[in-house]
Amino acid sequence: MFRYISKVIRYLSLKNKNASQDTTTGKVNNEPISSDLKRNLEVIKGILRDSSDVTFHEFNFGHDRRFKGALIFINSLADKNEIHKNILQPLMYDVLLLKKDANMDFTKIDTVSKNLISITDTQKLVLASDLIDHLLAGATILLVDGAKEALAIKSQKVEHRGIEEPGTEAVVRGPREGFNENVNVSIALIRRKIKDPDLCIEKFNIGERSKTDVYIVYIKNVANPKLIEEIRERLDRIKIDAILESGYIEQFIEDAPYSIFPTVSNSEKPDKVVSKILEGRAAILVDGTPFALVVPMLFIESFQSGEDYYSRPFLASIMRLIRFLSYIISALGPAIYVALTVFHQELMPTQLLISIAAGRERVPFPAILEASLMIFTFDILREAGVRLPKAVGQTVGIVGALVLGQASVEAGLISPIMVIVVSSTAIASFAVPAQTDSGTILRYIYLALAGLAGGFGVIMGLLATLLHLASLRSFGTPYLWPIVPLNFSSLKDTFIRMPLWTMSKRPSAVVWDESDNYRQSPGLMPSPYKKDSGGSK
Amino acid sequence: MTKKINIKINILTSKLVLCLLMLFMLSGCSGGREINDLEIVIGMGVDKDEDTGNILLTAQVVKEGEMEKSSGSGGGGGDGKAFWNVTGTGESVFESVRQITHKTGNRLFVSHNHVIIFGKDLASEGLQKYIDFFLRAHEMRPTAIILIAEGRALDVMNAKPETEKLPAMNIAKLVKTYGFTSHFYKVNMKDFASCLMCDSRSPIAPLVGVSKDGDNKDIYMSGMAVFKNDKMVGRLNEDETRGLLWVLGKVKSGVLLISFPNKQGKAAFEILEAKSKVIPEIKDGKIVMHVKIKAESSLSEQTTAEDLATIEAFEKMQKAQAEVIRQEIMAAFDKSRELNADVFGFGEMIRKKHSNKWKSLKDKWDEIYQTIELNTDIEVKIQKTDLLKKPASPKKEEK
Amino acid sequence: MRIEKGNICNMQLLFLITGFVQSSISLIDFTVVITEHQTWMVILAGLVIATPFILSYVALAKRFPGMNLIQINDAVYGRFLGKVISVYYIFFLMMTLSFNILDVGELYATFLMPDTPFIYLLIFFTATCAYAVTKGLEVLARVSHLFVVVGIIVPVSTFLLLIDQMDFSNFLPFFELPLIRVFHGIHIMLSIPFGETIVFLMIMGSVNKTEGMVKNTLTGLLIGTSSLLIAAVRNTAVLGNTEAIWTSPSFQSTRLIDIGTVLTRMDFLIGIAQTVLIFFKCSLFFYALAVAVSQLFGLKSYLPLVLPLAGIEVIIAATVFQSPVDHAAITQDAGIIYSVPLMFVIPPLSLLIAKICGLPKPERGKGV
Repeated sequence: MFRYISKVIRYLSLKNKNASQDTTTGKVNNEPISSDLKRNLEVIKGILRDSSDVTFHEFNFGHDRRFKGALIFINSLADKNEIHKNILQPLMYDVLLLKKDANMDFTKIDTVSKNLISITDTQKLVLASDLIDHLLAGATILLVDGAKEALAIKSQKVEHRGIEEPGTEAVVRGPREGFNENVNVSIALIRRKIKDPDLCIEKFNIGERSKTDVYIVYIKNVANPKLIEEIRERLDRIKIDAILESGYIEQFIEDAPYSIFPTVSNSEKPDKVVSKILEGRAAILVDGTPFALVVPMLFIESFQSGEDYYSRPFLASIMRLIRFLSYIISALGPAIYVALTVFHQELMPTQLLISIAAGRERVPFPAILEASLMIFTFDILREAGVRLPKAVGQTVGIVGALVLGQASVEAGLISPIMVIVVSSTAIASFAVPAQTDSGTILRYIYLALAGLAGGFGVIMGLLATLLHLASLRSFGTPYLWPIVPLNFSSLKDTFIRMPLWTMSKRPSAVVWDESDNYRQSPGLMPSPYKKDSGGSK
Repeated sequence: MTKKINIKINILTSKLVLCLLMLFMLSGCSGGREINDLEIVIGMGVDKDEDTGNILLTAQVVKEGEMEKSSGSGGGGGDGKAFWNVTGTGESVFESVRQITHKTGNRLFVSHNHVIIFGKDLASEGLQKYIDFFLRAHEMRPTAIILIAEGRALDVMNAKPETEKLPAMNIAKLVKTYGFTSHFYKVNMKDFASCLMCDSRSPIAPLVGVSKDGDNKDIYMSGMAVFKNDKMVGRLNEDETRGLLWVLGKVKSGVLLISFPNKQGKAAFEILEAKSKVIPEIKDGKIVMHVKIKAESSLSEQTTAEDLATIEAFEKMQKAQAEVIRQEIMAAFDKSRELNADVFGFGEMIRKKHSNKWKSLKDKWDEIYQTIELNTDIEVKIQKTDLLKKPASPKKEEK
Repeated sequence: MRIEKGNICNMQLLFLITGFVQSSISLIDFTVVITEHQTWMVILAGLVIATPFILSYVALAKRFPGMNLIQINDAVYGRFLGKVISVYYIFFLMMTLSFNILDVGELYATFLMPDTPFIYLLIFFTATCAYAVTKGLEVLARVSHLFVVVGIIVPVSTFLLLIDQMDFSNFLPFFELPLIRVFHGIHIMLSIPFGETIVFLMIMGSVNKTEGMVKNTLTGLLIGTSSLLIAAVRNTAVLGNTEAIWTSPSFQSTRLIDIGTVLTRMDFLIGIAQTVLIFFKCSLFFYALAVAVSQLFGLKSYLPLVLPLAGIEVIIAATVFQSPVDHAAITQDAGIIYSVPLMFVIPPLSLLIAKICGLPKPERGKGV
C-alpha cells in the first residue's frame, strides 16, 4: 500500500520535472544577436564548445581596415574555395576598389550583402537560435562588429552520390535516372520535367535534432487544395527527434497504421513521381533519401510500372494481367495447395492426385507444416541474400538451390511438388514490388486459414481481405478505386492498359476540378497519312 | 466516443479470434485428411458372396509408390502391380465398405471412382438394393460408369491390362471410347438412376467379360445388358446395340459393311455423323413411331476391283447402307419386344408429347409395347472416298 | 436520428438487390423437390407476383426518405403499436439470419467438408459477417458489384459447359404437376428470395437520391431472377427426372462436367458462388438486424451490438434444427406462414395508412 503510494508520488514528481524542461533544443534562448562581436563569438563558442570542427575566423575589412568581422563555419560542410573567393576576397580586397569617399556603412549587413558578397544565397538573421540553426545546416555566418544582424551565406559543399539508375526499380525502356540523397538534386530532376509555373514546392523543416528538409511538390490547379491542406496538417503534427528516411514520415502520416497494405506509395524514379504529380497527387521529398513519397495511393498503382506507358499497349496489357496473376499466386499459392491436398482431394484430376500422393510418400510432416517450413526457409534465404556482401552472393544461390531443392527431396523431407509451389510463389512475389510485404504476410495468413478450414477458410479470408481493402482510404480516396466504387471510364488503366490516346482525362478520384479534367485533347488516335503521298504513280 | 468503442471492439474481437484459433489448433480435428492417409479407390465391384449370401465388395486401390516405380525401372521386383484389389463382405454395400477398413487401415476415398461393376448374378437378382450407396455417398460422383460383368466383378477387376497400369482406368477408357464402333454405350450412374426412376423405360448397361488367353487376361466389351425395372433380363449384341443407338441418335462412328449381291466383294464405310429424330404418333389407339435417321459416311475400304466412285454406284451403296441400318434397328426393336423392355424410351417420348393420353396408357405399357409399329425413314449420304479415287487393280479391257 | 451515417448511391442499390436475389441459388435446390421440372415457371410467377409488393416497399421508402423501417413503423402506427410491429420484424430477421447461416453450414457439411465440426464453420462464417457489418453499409454497397459478377458468371459458365449434356425435352410435359404443388412452390419462392427484400427497407433510407429507385429496383430484380432462372433451367435440362432425388441438384449437375481431362471437377465453382452470395445476404441481414435493434433501443451506434448478436445467431443456428430434413420441412411449411404478414400485409397497409393520413407530417424541430 505504501509502496504504491510512494510510486505514485515519484511518478507525479518526475512528470512535473519533465514538463518543466524544454523539449526543444532550447539551449539557446530566442534572444537577438548583440552588436558586440566579441560577445556574440563568446556565446557561440560557449554553445558549440564541444564541436571541434567549428571554425571561427576573425578579420578586418573595409578601407583602412576599419571594420571588424568574423566568419563562422563548419569545417566539414563549408566550401572553402567559395568562402575564400567570394566572401573573404571581396570583403578584404575588392572593397578597396570602391571609392573611399563613398563611405559605405558596413555595420549595416544589408550594405555588405548587396555590395560586397558575391554569393547569391544569403539571408539576414536576427535571433541567435536562427544563427545556430543555419550554422549547423552548413551556412557560413558573417558577423560584423556593430551590426545588429548577421548574414548567413549558403556556401556548402555537399558530397553526394551521382545520379544513378535506381537499384530497386529497373526498367527496360524509359529513363534510367533516379533520385538522390540530396533533395536539391531530386527537385532539380522534377523541375526539368515540369516547367509549369503552377508547380508548387513547399518547404518544411521536420525533426528537432535533424531539422530535415521536407518538400511537398504539387501542381496548383490540378491537385485538390484540401489534400494539400491535410498533408500540411499531418506533417506539422510530427514531433520527433530526427527524420532519417522518408519511411519515418510515411509511418506518421498514413491513414491506416494497422493495415498491412501501404497507403502511401514511394518511388525512386523521377518520371514515375512526375507522372503522379501530373495526375493531381502530391509528392513528398525528404532530404537524405532517394525515396520520394506520393500521396494518395491506390491499390492498383502497385501493379503499374512506368514501362507500361512507354511501350505499346498490347504487351503492356498482358504484362499487367500477369502482374495481377502473380500477386494472386504469391498470396494464395501455398494456401490453395494445402487446401486442395488436405481437404478437397476430390477436386483434383485423378492422375494429378496420384502423382502428388506418390511424391509425398516418404514425407514425415503434414502438408501444412511442410508448406510453412518451406515458405519460412525461403524468407530466410531472401533476407540473407540482401545482407550478404557481393563476394559471397553466389553462395546463397547455390545453397538455396541445394537446401530447398534436390537435397531435401532426396532426403525425403519435402515432396517435389512442394518445391514447385514454393518456388513459383517466391518468384511471383517479386513481380509486384510495392506489395511484397503485404503479399508475404497474407501468404502466412491464408496458409493458416487453409490449414484450419480448407477452402472455406480461404474463401472467408479472401472476403475479409476484400472488405478490409474496400474500407481503406488513402487521404480521402477509396483504396480500391476504380474497381470498388466502380468507375468505368477509369477502368481503362487498371487491368489492361488502353492506348495512350484514349486516356484523355485524369483519374477523377484525385483531381480537384472534374469539369476541367482533360490532360490531353480527345481524338488523338494516330492514323496513316490521308492525302496522296506521291510515290509511284 | 465511437472511437473508444471502436478500439474496445477491436481488442475484444482480437481476443475472441485468438481464443477461437487456440480452440481450432488444440482440438486437433478439423476435417482435413492428409493425402497419404487416403486409399484412393478407382473402381468398385459388387458380387454375391457364395458362402454367406452377402455382398462381396471389391475396391481397387491405387498403390502410389508402385505407380512411380513402374514408370522408371519397369518390371523390377515384386509383381509390379500398381493397384490392389481389396475385398470386404457385408449385408449392405456401406457395411462392406467399412469392413474393408479392417484390411486397409485407412478409410476409402471414393471421389475418384471411375467404374462400378456389378456381377451378373446380382444383376439378375435386381440392382435396386445395391445402387443407393453409390448415389447417396457424398464422395461419389454421378460420372462414374456402371458396367455388368459376364461372370464375377472380381475377375474383371483382377485382369491386368497391357498398356495401362490400372485396370479400372483401362475399363473406363474402353467405355468412354465407345464411339469408335458404337457397339456399346457409356452409361453413367445418373443415366442409370434416371432410367430406374422412370416407370416405362428400361435401363441398359455395358457388359464386360474376361477372356483367358493363356496367362494374360484381357477384358473385352461384349454388348449391353437389358434390365426390366432393376433385374437383368437379357442382352443386346453388338448389332442390336447399334440399332438402339441409331434411334437414340448416339452413334458417333463405326463401320457399315455392305456386300454386293451380284458381284463378289464388300465395301466398308466409316460413319461420320448420324442424327435421328423420333416422332411418336397415336393413330386410332395404335402407336406408331416415326424414326428419321440421317447419316453421313465415307468409303473406307472396298474388296472388289470395281470402280465405285460413280454416282450410280453411290446411290446403290447408299440404299444398301440404309438397308443395313434398318436391319440393325429392327433387330434391336425385335429383341426389345422379345424381352418386353422399352430400351428406346418410347414411353417417355409419349409422356412428353402426348401427356394427356399417356395417363391412360401408362398402366398397360407392357402390353402396348408389343403392338408398337416402327416406321423408319433412313437416309445415308456418302461424303468422301478418302485418298483413292479408284482401287489399285489391273485395268479391265474396254469391251 | 440516423444511425447509419453513410450514403449509398442508386447504382449500388441495384447491385445490392441483384446480389440479394442471386443468393437464393441454393433455394432452387430446395424447391425442386416440390416443383420438379416446373421450377422455372415458379420462379417467373414468383417474380411477377412479388413485383407490386416490392414496389410498395420502394414507395414507402420514397415517402419517408432517410428513415428506416423501425422509424417508419413508429411514424405510421404510433409509438406503441409501431414498436410491437418492429419487434415482430426483428424476430423475423433473427430467425431468417440464423437459417441462412445454417444453410451455409449444411452446404459444407453435406458436400464439401463433411468432416469438419459443424460449429466451427458456423463460427467462422458468422465472424466474417460480423466483421463485414462493423465496416458499415457503405463498404458492403461498394463491393456489391463484385458479388453480382460472381453470381452471373458461375451459372452462365456452368450452363455453357453443360450444353452438350442438356436434353431440353425434359421440360416437356409442361403442366404435369398438380396445381397445389405449383402454388406451394410459388409461395416458397415469394417468401424467400423476393419477400426477404423487406430487409431493404432498412437500407433504402441511406440512399442519397430517391429518384431512380424504382427503375433500379426493378432492374436489380430482373437480373437476379435471370441468374436463378439460368441455374434452374440448367439443372432441369441436365438431370431430367433425377433432379428431385438429389439433395443439391446444382452440385450434381456441375459434377457432370467432363470436358477433356482438365475441366472435370468444377463443383467448387458452385461451392464458391453459393458461399460468397450467402455471405453477402447474411451480411445485409446482420446489418439490418443490428441497426433495427439499436434503433429500437435508441442507441447512437450499432457497433457494440454486433458481437452479442453474432453470438446469439450462432447459438440459434447450431441448435434450432436437428437435420436438414427438419430444416426443409419446417421452413417449407411453417416458415413461410409467419413471414407472410410481414412481407405482404404490413407494408402495403403502412403505405395505405400513410397515404390516407398524409404522412410523413413535417415535424417542427426534428430533423431527419
